Amino acid sequence: MASNHLISRRTCLRGLGASLGLPLLETMGWAETAKGAAASKPPVRLGFMYMPHGVIMDQFWPSSPESFRTSPPPALESLRPVLDQCLLMKGISGVPITPFGSAPHALELSTWLTAALPNAAKRSQIHIAISADQIFANYYGALTALPSLELATMPQTHKENQEGLNEGYYSHCSFRSPTQAMPAEINPRNVLNRLFGKSDQGGTTTANPLDRQMLDLVIGGAKDLRRKLPHGDQQKLDEYLDSVRSVERRIAAIESRQKDAALEKAGVASSQRKASDSPTIEVKIPEGDKRSEYMQVMCDLTILAFQTDTTRVSTYIGSTPNGVSYPELGFSDTHHSPTHHNNEAEKVRKVAAITKFNIDQFAYMVKKMATLREGDGTLLDNCLMMWGSGLEDGNKHTRENLPFIIAGKGGGSVETGRFLDNVKGNQGDLLTTLLGCAGVPLDRPIGIATKEITEIRKA
Amino acid sequence: MKPPSFILSPWFRLWVLLGAALATSAARAGEDPELAARREAVKKAFKQDVEKFVADYCVQCHADRPKAGLNLRVAVKKPGDPAFLRKWIECIANVEAHDMPPEDADQPSDEERQRFLDALSQVQYLSNRDPGPFVIRRLTKAEFGNTLRDFLGVDPSVAKDLPEEVPGEGYLNSLSPMQVEQYLGIANEAITKLSAKDEARLFGDAKTEVREIARRLARSAYRRPPTDSEIDVLAGVFDLGTKNGLDRDAALKFMLKAVLVSPQFLFITPSKDAPEGEEIVPLDDHQLASRLSYFLWATMPDAELAKLADEGRLHDPAVLKAQVKRMLASPRSRALFDGFGAQWLGLDKIATKTFDPDKFPQMTPAMREAMYEEARLFFDSIVRENRSVVTFVNGDYTYLNATLAPIYGMEKQVKGAAMEKVSLTDTNRGGILTMPGVLATTSFPTRTSPVIRGVWVLEQVLGEHVPPAPPNVPALEKQDQKTIAGLTLRQRTELHRTEAVCANCHKILDPIGFGLENFDAIGRWRETDESGGKVDAAGELPGGKRFSSPRELKAIIAARGNDLSRNLTEKLLAYALCRQLDGYDLIVVDQMHKTIAGDGHRMQTLISEVVTSYPFLNRRVVE
Repeated sequence: MASNHLISRRTCLRGLGASLGLPLLETMGWAETAKGAAASKPPVRLGFMYMPHGVIMDQFWPSSPESFRTSPPPALESLRPVLDQCLLMKGISGVPITPFGSAPHALELSTWLTAALPNAAKRSQIHIAISADQIFANYYGALTALPSLELATMPQTHKENQEGLNEGYYSHCSFRSPTQAMPAEINPRNVLNRLFGKSDQGGTTTANPLDRQMLDLVIGGAKDLRRKLPHGDQQKLDEYLDSVRSVERRIAAIESRQKDAALEKAGVASSQRKASDSPTIEVKIPEGDKRSEYMQVMCDLTILAFQTDTTRVSTYIGSTPNGVSYPELGFSDTHHSPTHHNNEAEKVRKVAAITKFNIDQFAYMVKKMATLREGDGTLLDNCLMMWGSGLEDGNKHTRENLPFIIAGKGGGSVETGRFLDNVKGNQGDLLTTLLGCAGVPLDRPIGIATKEITEIRKA
Repeated sequence: MKPPSFILSPWFRLWVLLGAALATSAARAGEDPELAARREAVKKAFKQDVEKFVADYCVQCHADRPKAGLNLRVAVKKPGDPAFLRKWIECIANVEAHDMPPEDADQPSDEERQRFLDALSQVQYLSNRDPGPFVIRRLTKAEFGNTLRDFLGVDPSVAKDLPEEVPGEGYLNSLSPMQVEQYLGIANEAITKLSAKDEARLFGDAKTEVREIARRLARSAYRRPPTDSEIDVLAGVFDLGTKNGLDRDAALKFMLKAVLVSPQFLFITPSKDAPEGEEIVPLDDHQLASRLSYFLWATMPDAELAKLADEGRLHDPAVLKAQVKRMLASPRSRALFDGFGAQWLGLDKIATKTFDPDKFPQMTPAMREAMYEEARLFFDSIVRENRSVVTFVNGDYTYLNATLAPIYGMEKQVKGAAMEKVSLTDTNRGGILTMPGVLATTSFPTRTSPVIRGVWVLEQVLGEHVPPAPPNVPALEKQDQKTIAGLTLRQRTELHRTEAVCANCHKILDPIGFGLENFDAIGRWRETDESGGKVDAAGELPGGKRFSSPRELKAIIAARGNDLSRNLTEKLLAYALCRQLDGYDLIVVDQMHKTIAGDGHRMQTLISEVVTSYPFLNRRVVE
């Protein structure tokens, strides 16, 4: 399995002088501390947020690089206050999907962070490539309670079979290995309770240190069973045991957070956070079923996860292809149906409204991040948040100029406040560049990438 | 999932096509002369009618730089190779639909085409004997909840927050750490909900030895006798608890928690090592008990099954068949609908499918629930009353309540909130083809779709393979608004068919859907469609069978009972094995089907045949 990874989790851990079984968090602040450097600079966090089916292009792309900030296109209106911290690039092409020509939707999400096509000979199984977020997680994941966070605001159970492709391709963007799709959490209450040890009434649930030792025994006890299994089954078991180990780490993280909180109460500053950093945000689980609130609470959870260094990489699937409906916008169509609009005004209006709605939620997240102090700047300064879609034009399924918005300066690695209207590159190039900006050294480019898009970087 | 390795040793290659499907060990396998003769005939036909066809019409595109990932030059050399079976099935669909060879290429004569299709449809007879591997798998959400219910006596809803599985082969979506965390949370919750009675059942009295308790818990939860080292681990957890100040009761619960998050509980795992050097072995009895129990009940084996497994008697076909009868009679067998039937009929989508609330305000949660229940009770009646599977198409009864009755126009007859059995006098009604839940899930949110309904009948009912739509076909929505003004949906769909790329398939698909156009998108009878034009439900199926109403369409489909029952056998076998069927499985299905057809396609016979089939009882040792 390790050979499938760009960087194996184990190698990375060895590099940092850690061993696999031990929770790292009790002794550690930011990664730099672990390496013995000064604990000053917050790490770069990477976030991906997805919307299916493309955009109405003339309402998404700015009319010129010059007017980008002063008169942004309608779709970006809600980002206006932070456009100086955003970067738009036109000219990023998607993965060409032949020989799966009849499966534009099955592939728009699954190629999004892999920049690769499924293995045609094994199409009925998950067999694609490790995704960019998981490459990041392999490198930095060992430093945080969760290697990565996967969220979605729609169940991942689309049942349709295009080109004989496994149905999982419809609804997953994150792949831990070529054969393992990472499921996303769709219930915000679960994330809040289990990830942060908070109940939604504002109290905390205490971590049970005994559970951690019990899980250790359980993992040890699976050895005999493992020996009996053929290789493929061993992998499946390992995957489970791997997840159990992460739970051990999460429990350790909550323990250490509780210790920190107790120390802070007693007047001793926490090792991780500066006194000038903003307090962690409060997350409220919405009562009703408004889609905007549902999406915003997922955005809040992402912010909280980044602020507390619970993870450094997140994916958030706003909806999967074929999509949800948006009663708040005053119509009942599911996302997919108006996207084949054939330039009919009413359908175009609906697609534009859905797009704006999704970007509004992204704007909600990054604007909030821009208000949170961290280190010498804001949380957003230390993040690279990417919003995007897997198609350019849902009407014709084109993927020549995929819509992407980058927000955040990536710890100073990215030059924001720009619209690059003629970038030559593909989805893989973009992901390769973003991982580079986040400090992940790659031993080979991602998917179809051939190069870095150097214009993105700060000169 | 790791692809199975099909590199079989040379001596094994000689052992092709052995024996009847019921053989439970390699030792019983003898050369069946009938099968061997058939294999020779298929081999010859393949050489004559497929190899030449491929050379003349296919390899120009599908060879060294293979289009659509299809290298037929390699495939014709290894016709029985399981890796190519799916490809051959696609080839049949595409060549049958005249999609291949493409229009601009040389065309075979009709006779060549037919001979190619005839020869290729037998290609599974060139497969090697192979029961397939037994792939370990995690319990699904429903199975996990049910298993907790039976093991601990708690309500299965304790598992409600687990995410749904991604459908597909073997439910292979991976677990995120968040979800493992959920397992731990569910274990905590289940343990706090234990009743005093169940606690006593699980933990015995104060004198019961801890290792004995651990052994009993693990025997139930792991669904097989635990190993000594597994007992050691659990006893170690108990000690960890007591060392940290837990009293005996709390430490036992702590040990139980360890059982509940162990992979031995969450995965169905083998109890024994396969004997050295064997390539095909019977499932061990505990594995078989679990396979059977999760197939029919979606839960762990009960005491009787566990006892039979302990006694090593489950491989006896008579014992198995008796168990099938017993298990189907139990209320737990509703799991066969929830897990299989609902997926087969598409009813698993009814709860969440979008309907335009302005056009169809009737589609309330209560209505969706009633539609699901109707299909469930109908399926259940065929299983429990051991009816012929043809009843699925021509049954003259159904189950309604006051919510659902108006869809049938029977609100005067049915008034209660509970579902009740109702005889149908209108012969346009009855059976799955015209069942509201099915008609609704095969419609768009705003209107019917004759095409989706047509594909559904062909694929789900008759088991035919419909090739996917070619790329970039314009959908009906994209038709020029002026041209289609005033046309009925049928007329619009027919217009769509005038495009050459679409015509080949649609002339097969659409007529079936047209035959059901008298039912609107939520299954109500109508004489006119959305455009106001009169519904024309007449049509003709390939082969010249003509019909003019849903009633007649149903009769035509019901007359294809053989196809229906074979299709159901294939789908049920794949479900039971948790994998896609391969070449040898299809030979097995042929054998099973003889028995099933010989018994009037009765549902319980079909299920028994699946349970006593060669791939259900055996496994290939993968390495």
